Amino acid sequence: MKKPLVAVTLAAAAVPMLIGVAALPRPGDPTAPAHTHVAAHYIEAGARETGADNRVTAVLLNYRAFDTFGEVLVIFAALAAVIAVRSPATPGGRADDMPGPGPGLPISPVVAFIIRLTAPFIALFGAFVIFRGHVSPGGGFQGGVILGALLVLLSLVLGRGAERPLLAVPLARWLQAAAPLAFTGVGLLGLALTGALLGYPAEPERHALRELMMITLDVGIGIGGAMIILGLFLEMRGD
Amino acid sequence: MTGMLLHALTIALAVTGALFFLAGTLGLLRLPDFYSRVHAATKCDTVGAGAILLALAIHVAPHPEALKILVLLLLVLLSSPTSGHALARAAHHTGLEPWRRPGERAR
Repeated sequence: MKKPLVAVTLAAAAVPMLIGVAALPRPGDPTAPAHTHVAAHYIEAGARETGADNRVTAVLLNYRAFDTFGEVLVIFAALAAVIAVRSPATPGGRADDMPGPGPGLPISPVVAFIIRLTAPFIALFGAFVIFRGHVSPGGGFQGGVILGALLVLLSLVLGRGAERPLLAVPLARWLQAAAPLAFTGVGLLGLALTGALLGYPAEPERHALRELMMITLDVGIGIGGAMIILGLFLEMRGD
Repeated sequence: MTGMLLHALTIALAVTGALFFLAGTLGLLRLPDFYSRVHAATKCDTVGAGAILLALAIHVAPHPEALKILVLLLLVLLSSPTSGHALARAAHHTGLEPWRRPGERAR
């Protein structure tokens, strides 16, 4: 009874997908819908309309800001799910499911030295990618990943274990929610200024404010993304 | 004349790098245990990538991009041996015994 049902369900899901894939335009087709509707407008008027010289940033934070809001919520939900699954119901309840090469191995002095040596440069690069994303490839997501990798490395050298965390847990939780919080704040500010959620003021004399709103979003995405990567690492490494 | 010499140096360095990558890949596939494979793979990243990056830097010099490539080279020279060391250290800590010739006794 169950097997035919599974097969029918799979077929019902697969057939429309295969038909859809077969109907996709050829790669690079200039008459494809993706190239004939809004793309030309984004390329032509993106910088003027949004104030972001980088068209990807213009689409990400302005034309498709709702999509990006959804994306940061998905990333935050991923961390929330991992915390919900991993955290013990009672304190100290996970001592016996400790995988990996025992907790007794101290960090190698070579690795510690190299991490300390390169950390400032990695931090500078991450911040550069976040702030430079306004005018060139980069932005909050990419810079956040770089900063997140840096935090993971630093947690190997400076980490003090789950009992005495470097950042108080409530503060870390707020920072992990930085991206949704930034979107909520900027979105409500836009609502107050223009009457539309995540709207940006278009008047020329308010350009500085518009830039500031977009940079706030990028910094929020960057900090939130970095903290979420660190949170996933700390939750899943098993100590 | 100098241009030709620089060109020859670029080609020689790039070929050296490619040969190290070949040897490293062969070692990764054919060597008997974890330690010797890490050793082979790390050679690829340091000497192989290092020689190719140096060749590229000479090729684009005196363009400022050459400086960026040199910084990248420095990063590879720092990070690749470190990761090799960390891998081998973790394996040693878990008690993984190095491979020996059949019949050879552990010291």
